[in-house]
Amino acid sequence: MTFKQWFHRLGSPPYVYAFGWLSALLIAYGVFGGLVLAPPDYQQGDDFRIIYVHAPTAWMSLMVYSTMAVAAAIGLIWRIKIAHAAAASCAPIGASFTLVALVTGSLWGQRMWGTYWEWDPRLTSELILLFLYLGYMGLRSAMDDLQRADRASAVLAVVGIVNVPIIHYSVTWWNSLHQAPSVMQLAKPTIPPSMLMPLLSMLLGFTLLFAALLLVRLRAEILVRERSASWIREALHP
Amino acid sequence: MRFLEMGGYAAYVWPAYGLTLVVIVLNIVWARRLLARSREEARRRLVMRGEQS
Repeated sequence: MTFKQWFHRLGSPPYVYAFGWLSALLIAYGVFGGLVLAPPDYQQGDDFRIIYVHAPTAWMSLMVYSTMAVAAAIGLIWRIKIAHAAAASCAPIGASFTLVALVTGSLWGQRMWGTYWEWDPRLTSELILLFLYLGYMGLRSAMDDLQRADRASAVLAVVGIVNVPIIHYSVTWWNSLHQAPSVMQLAKPTIPPSMLMPLLSMLLGFTLLFAALLLVRLRAEILVRERSASWIREALHP
Repeated sequence: MRFLEMGGYAAYVWPAYGLTLVVIVLNIVWARRLLARSREEARRRLVMRGEQS
């Protein structure tokens, strides 16, 4: 089996469920590690434990958007139908986790900054990301013709990618309330292993969860798009 | 039960974890329902096409 065959096989059912279960294990360990094993922070006490749901969902919001924009660009440039289908499948996943990142951040901010919301560079750019997802989904559902919806929404997704580095670097470019990165940096992470390991487990777990969700949604999307293909009968009755 | 008190931050920590869990579950349910629905629809279309020919 060549690498290409192996890689393509990852997208088919048994592997999708493997991604799902592996992600469940990693997230379960991350939650246990984050709530029980990690010691309270010396400044923030137990409130810092919100990081174990806030950082992974914020990571998802950016990673899913990047995936969506790359898929949309591939669909636009090479006119690959399945790339458009993948981009369309990303949006609802990304939007929901962006909302979670905003709400968990707001709950954290209330005690640490004294406010649920501030028009701060990081917070505002993340809110714009949510609007980009919603705009993308709205634009798609407003168009009846699938090909036009694919192309128009792909342009929006590709243009919106400028927001991703803005979100990531907002905390270093401007005076943000939000703390600077402590894991996603080139130098050694600045948090101890007992706090870091559950966080890394969560990040990997959420990434695999995205892979599993995307592949399930993509199967649904392909079944709708290839409605007249001759292989549909085989796909439904293996 | 000191664990549940979260050092006085219970009102912030638990809703954050609760919301995350709810959204994960919803995402799984939505994705599975979407696949089930499109399979059902594709099957129905196959039956219709079979009747016509």
